Amino acid sequence: MGTESGAAEQTGWQEPPPARIERRLVREAQHGSGEALAALYSAHWRRAHRAAYLVVHDAAAAEDIAQDAFLAAVDSLDRFDRRRPFAPWLHRIVVNRAIDWVRRESLRRTAADPASEPDPAPRAEPLGEDLMGALAKLPPEQRAVVVLRHLLEYTPGEIARMLELPRGTVNSRLRRALDRLRVLIEVEG
Amino acid sequence: MNDDRLRLLLRETPVPGAGEAECRGLRVVSRAYDERRPAPRPLLPRLALALAAAALLAAVVLSPAGAAVRDWIGDVFAAGVPNAEPALTDVPGGGRLLVNSPQGPWVVQPDGSRRLLGRYSDASWSPHGLFVAAAARDTLSAVEPDGTPRWSISAKGRVSDPRWSPSGFRIAYRAGHALRVVAADGTGDHRIARSTAVAPAWSPLGQPQLAYVDGRGQVRIAASESGRGLGTAKSLPGIVKLQWGEGGTVLLEASRRAVQVRPLRAGTPAQGIGFGRPRWLALPVRATVRDAAFSPRGTTVAVLLAERWHGGARSMVWLFGRNGTHQLLTVPGRLSELAFSPNGERLLVAWPEADQWLFLPAGRGEGRAIGGISEAFSPGTDAAGFPRVAGWCCAAVRRPEG
Repeated sequence: MGTESGAAEQTGWQEPPPARIERRLVREAQHGSGEALAALYSAHWRRAHRAAYLVVHDAAAAEDIAQDAFLAAVDSLDRFDRRRPFAPWLHRIVVNRAIDWVRRESLRRTAADPASEPDPAPRAEPLGEDLMGALAKLPPEQRAVVVLRHLLEYTPGEIARMLELPRGTVNSRLRRALDRLRVLIEVEG
Repeated sequence: MNDDRLRLLLRETPVPGAGEAECRGLRVVSRAYDERRPAPRPLLPRLALALAAAALLAAVVLSPAGAAVRDWIGDVFAAGVPNAEPALTDVPGGGRLLVNSPQGPWVVQPDGSRRLLGRYSDASWSPHGLFVAAAARDTLSAVEPDGTPRWSISAKGRVSDPRWSPSGFRIAYRAGHALRVVAADGTGDHRIARSTAVAPAWSPLGQPQLAYVDGRGQVRIAASESGRGLGTAKSLPGIVKLQWGEGGTVLLEASRRAVQVRPLRAGTPAQGIGFGRPRWLALPVRATVRDAAFSPRGTTVAVLLAERWHGGARSMVWLFGRNGTHQLLTVPGRLSELAFSPNGERLLVAWPEADQWLFLPAGRGEGRAIGGISEAFSPGTDAAGFPRVAGWCCAAVRRPEG
């Protein structure tokens, strides 16, 4: 029965569900449907978790951040405006918390040992080793805009609204980050 | 490095422990949601927990690329990997199997011994396994499990999907596009509908009521003697399977994209049967439904899913029950069908790419994998096609002790 799956999916990457389906899931979750909430979770977790990880470079912290974002979504579900897309709202929470976490960790490390080096990127598979190493050398604010633009595919205008920054600041951070990444990956990779 | 390369790296850089994190996260989020949400609705409740448990094992499966096969398998096999037994030497869980193969249908005894019934293309058990209804081109036959024919009738059109009623008194079948019913002694053959899209399903209550999907995509329930319609509703688009469950109070409808369960309300004979609002089962967004079935008691739905993964495919078996959802298994490649054992304690899942049948415990216990399935049902031939399980019979049949 049935044939193979429809859209291609690479390494567990998920495209977001169509807006119409997402609105329906949010509405049903607001009305008490656990199935709908679970479907929302299933549709969004992997992207949220990956985005957090690429900013913080710490698997446990990324999990906490993504989990906190979903718990915040559950808390705010009744007040959520269904006409708005769910993903940007969730990603805004994820990325802002991820930036906060990196800043906090930097301060904590500096206070504990001013001479200490930043944590190396976790050992990754060869595919992502260069990228993680290069991302680790960017400030968290630049990592965030790279992730929002090139992983989650938001426009600079959308990123500006999510991070509450002027659009010009987003563009300049993005440009600096990409220039730096290209140099790092080409030189070191 | 261009934008596309960067996007690819961002998407494919492995996230350590991603699968387990997804699993833990869903448990936490579902618990928080359960604590805040209003009382759940009555039919197939607690599917939030369901998906929690489902993604739980899905998480194991979603581990980084290159994970060993053992990382894909659920906890139903002792060593993590189904260490396949080389041949079918018994039927795990007991009972007898009816298996359609390119050579024809086979009856498999509990000790694994097999008998080919003849040159039939499709077959199904009578309710107590005393006979088999078998189709061959435009002929419907009743045969004994040793292959002895009892009667045959000819039809206008190719005969397919014979289904013996739970009372044992009738057989429904498709002849060309038409849906017909004949008495179990081969008499009283009559047409119920001009066209039907999927195999018909008898009411499990023993009443002469038959559910089918007509050519316009309507689910209909009809009295099998008179053909009188008892109820109608629009079916799931693209429906490929129809089955009664929960003691005849619900209908399961499955398509490639969705599975839904529709409550039924029995009224007076004049009122007929009312169709309630269907409830869909929460499935992964991009998964394809390859099979779905109610357990024999009709309280659990097993769903076989497939989705693309790493340029290939993976398949999953989920159970949706009153106590939530449980993911039994995830394997690379494609699983093709599932069948419950008569007592509902085991699920047979076909894994053609591995040439195996997997016998999964629907509750506690360990699974068993049995290999060499193609050869077992096409001995000495080059006949193409993995065999299909047409039925698993019957609760009363046991091997004598001693």
